[in-house]
Amino acid sequence: MAARAGRCCRAGLSCGALLSPALLSPAVLSRAPATPRWGRAAFSSAPAVSGREGPQAREGSVRRRGRTLQFVRSAAPPRTERMAVDQDWSSVYPTAAAFKPASVPLPIRMGYPVKGGVPPPKEGNLELIKIPNFLHLTPPAIKKHCAALKDFCTEWPSALDSDEKCEQHFPIEIETVDYVSSGTSIRNPKARVVTLRVKLSSLNLDDHAKKKLIKLVGERYCQETDVLTITTDRCPLRRQNYDYSMHLLTVLYHESWKTEKWESEKSEEDMEEYVWENSHSQKNALDTLLRIKASENVSNVTKEELLASEVVKNYRNSVIALKNEGETESNISQYKESVKKLLNIQA
Amino acid sequence: NNEGEKQILNSQIPVTTDRHSDNSHLALQAKHTEQHEGRLYNIPLEELSAVFPHGLPHRFQQQVLTFNEARVMVRKPALELLAYLKGSNFSHPAVRYVIYGERGTGKTMTLCHVVHYCSRQGWLVLHIPDAHLWVKNCKELLQSSYNKDRLDQPLQASVWLKNFKASNERFLQEIKTQKKYMWGKRECTEEGRPLREVVEQGLARVRSASDAVGVLLRELKQQSHRGSFRLLVAVDGVNALWGRSTLRKEDKSPVCPEELTLVHNLRKMLMNDWSGGAIVTTLSQTGSLFKPSSAYTPQELLGKEGFDALDPFVPIPVPNYSPKEFESCYGYYLERRWLQHEKGQGWGGKRGMRVLGLELVSSKWAKKLDKLNTDFCTHRDAQSFAVPSVSLQGPRTFPPCASGLISSVCPCTPRVST
Repeated sequence: MAARAGRCCRAGLSCGALLSPALLSPAVLSRAPATPRWGRAAFSSAPAVSGREGPQAREGSVRRRGRTLQFVRSAAPPRTERMAVDQDWSSVYPTAAAFKPASVPLPIRMGYPVKGGVPPPKEGNLELIKIPNFLHLTPPAIKKHCAALKDFCTEWPSALDSDEKCEQHFPIEIETVDYVSSGTSIRNPKARVVTLRVKLSSLNLDDHAKKKLIKLVGERYCQETDVLTITTDRCPLRRQNYDYSMHLLTVLYHESWKTEKWESEKSEEDMEEYVWENSHSQKNALDTLLRIKASENVSNVTKEELLASEVVKNYRNSVIALKNEGETESNISQYKESVKKLLNIQA
Repeated sequence: NNEGEKQILNSQIPVTTDRHSDNSHLALQAKHTEQHEGRLYNIPLEELSAVFPHGLPHRFQQQVLTFNEARVMVRKPALELLAYLKGSNFSHPAVRYVIYGERGTGKTMTLCHVVHYCSRQGWLVLHIPDAHLWVKNCKELLQSSYNKDRLDQPLQASVWLKNFKASNERFLQEIKTQKKYMWGKRECTEEGRPLREVVEQGLARVRSASDAVGVLLRELKQQSHRGSFRLLVAVDGVNALWGRSTLRKEDKSPVCPEELTLVHNLRKMLMNDWSGGAIVTTLSQTGSLFKPSSAYTPQELLGKEGFDALDPFVPIPVPNYSPKEFESCYGYYLERRWLQHEKGQGWGGKRGMRVLGLELVSSKWAKKLDKLNTDFCTHRDAQSFAVPSVSLQGPRTFPPCASGLISSVCPCTPRVST
C-alpha cells in the first residue's frame, strides 16, 4: 500500500488536500509506524471540493501482511473525472509523453479481443503505452506553436496566393531538415541532406531533350507527377550540397539539349513508346496493300498515297493504342475493325 | 415448374439421330447461320477419320468414342470465321485470322469446325495440329543437309506427313512439282511429278522428311494463286513458332525456333505473300513454353516478334459458353444419358447445374463434375445437394469435352441439327 501511495505521488495524481490526521484513528496511526507520514498524507482521499463524502468512501483499512501492517488504500479516482470539457488540453500534454490512462478522458480500447469479448480497456494497457501518440500535437496546441514561432517569421508575400503561382514563380523546391536534440552538441550529420524537386514541365525542354533527361536521371523521375527529385548528401555542409544539386540540375539541362553522335544508333528496344513509322507493322501493312493493288491491276499507287489514306491512318492509330496502352477488349476490337477495313474483308 | 419439368422429360425421350445423306449435309452445313447458334451438327465417323487424322482435342476424341458420334456445336466465333472465308477475295493475299481466348473456351474446336467446313468445300487443308509439339520433347535432332545452321526433326516431320497424306490424297495426285528436287546425292524428284512422290520420299527416307515438308509447303504456296485449289493453312498453337524452345543442341546450347527447319518453313508459309486461300491460327497457352498461365491475349502469347510477323491479322475472341450454349450442352448430355441423377432432369438439378454451370468452362467441366460426383457420393443423404452426379457406369469416369457438343434443350425444335 505504501508503494502504491508512492507511485501515485510520482505520477502526480495527488488529489488535493492532504489527508488530515484527524481522519485516521489514533489507534491506526500508532499501530503502523513503518508507513511514512507524508505517504499517507499525500494519499488524500477527497479533493477539497467534494467535501466530507469522499473520506468516508475511501477510508484506509488495515491489513496484516506478514509482520508489518499495511494500509490498503483504495484507488483515487482518475483525473479524467475532474476534467472539464473545455479545458486547455495543451497543459495536460504539453510535450510528447507516454499515454496515461488516467489523464486521457477517452474510452479507448486496444489490443486483441478475447474470444467473444472486446479489446482490453485503457487501464494498464501496455499496448497503448508502447505506441507513439500525438496527444501533444492537437490543433490548438499547434496553433500555439505557430503563434510562438510567428515572432521569428516574416510575412508570406501576398502576391503568391495560389499553388499555381508559387509553382510558376518558384519552380524549384529545396527541402532541408534541421534536427534539435537535447545533448551537448547542436550538430547532426543528417542535417546536411538537401532534396531538390522540380517539375520538368517548368523546364524548357524539347521532345528529344526531355527523353534524354529522363534516361539520364533514371529512377529519380516520377512519371505520374512529372517531378524530378535530386537528393544530395555527398558534401559535409548543407550549403555545399545545395550548390552541388543546383550544379547537377544545370548540367543535366545542358547535356540533354546536346545530341551526341552515338544517339543515332538508338534502336527500337531503347524507345520509350511505340512509334509506328518505320516499324514492322507499317512495312507489313504497306506490303499487303501494294500486293492487293497489284492483284487488282491498279498500278502507280505510291507509298505516300497509301500512308495518307484513311484506312491506313485508322490502322496506325489502333496499333499504336494496342502497343502503348496494352491489350484491352476495346483496343483489340478496335484493331480488328481497322484490319478488316484495311484488308477489305466483308462478312 | 411442373410444366417445365414435363416438357423437359418429354424431350428426354431418346431421339434417333437422323442421318441425312451426304449432299444435304454439305448443303446444310454451308447454310449455318446465326439461327443455328448453340445447336449441334453431326460429322459422320468415316468423314471424321478422313478429315481429322490429327488435330482434334483429346477430350473430344474420347467423347466421340464414348457416344459413338461426333457432334460439334455451332458457335459464334466459328460462324464469324466462316462468314469471312465465304466472302473473301482469293486474288488478294491470304488473310490471317488468329483465334484467341482463355483456357478451355473452345479455340481448337472452332479451328476444327473451320477445317471441317473447308475440307467439305473441297479446299486443301494444311492442318498443323499443335505447333508446340515441334519445339519441345524432340528426341532426334539432325543437322540439316540443306542448310548447315538448321536442325531437322525427322520423327515429327514424318508423323505429320503421314497424317497429311491421309487427309489430302486426291490433291497430292493432282498437284505437280515445278522444280527438280535432289534428295541427297542419288535420289531426286523430277519436275512435273505429282506431289505424292515428294511425300512418299519423305516417309520412306525419314532423314529427309523435314526437307520434304519444306518442299511441300513451298510448292503449295507457289501454286495456290492459280486457282485450281484453295489452300487453308490451319495452325494450332501458333505462338510456339515465335516463342522459345526447350530443345538443346549436342553442346547443350539452347535451340532457337528459327533454327528448326520445320518451324522456319512454317513461318514462311504464314506470311501473306501468297494468295488463293486463308490462314487460320489459334493461340494456345496450354502446351506453351515459358508463358504464364494467365496469358491469353495475342501480344502476350505471340510476343513482339510474333505480333510483328503476323500483323495485320484479324483477331477472333472465343468466350466461354453463353447461357444458351450451356443449356444446349447440358441437354445433350442428359439426352445421351451421360448425366444421370434422379434429380438431374428436374428443376433442382438444372438449377443446381446452372448455378455452377455458367461459370464452368468447357473442358474444365470434367474436373468440376468429377469433384461434384465425389462430393455427392459422400453427401448422399443431403437433400439440398441437387446436382446431378456423373454416371460411373460409362466407359469413362469423367464426362468428355463439353465444348461443342450439345443440342439445345428446346422441345419444340428438332433435337438434331445438321
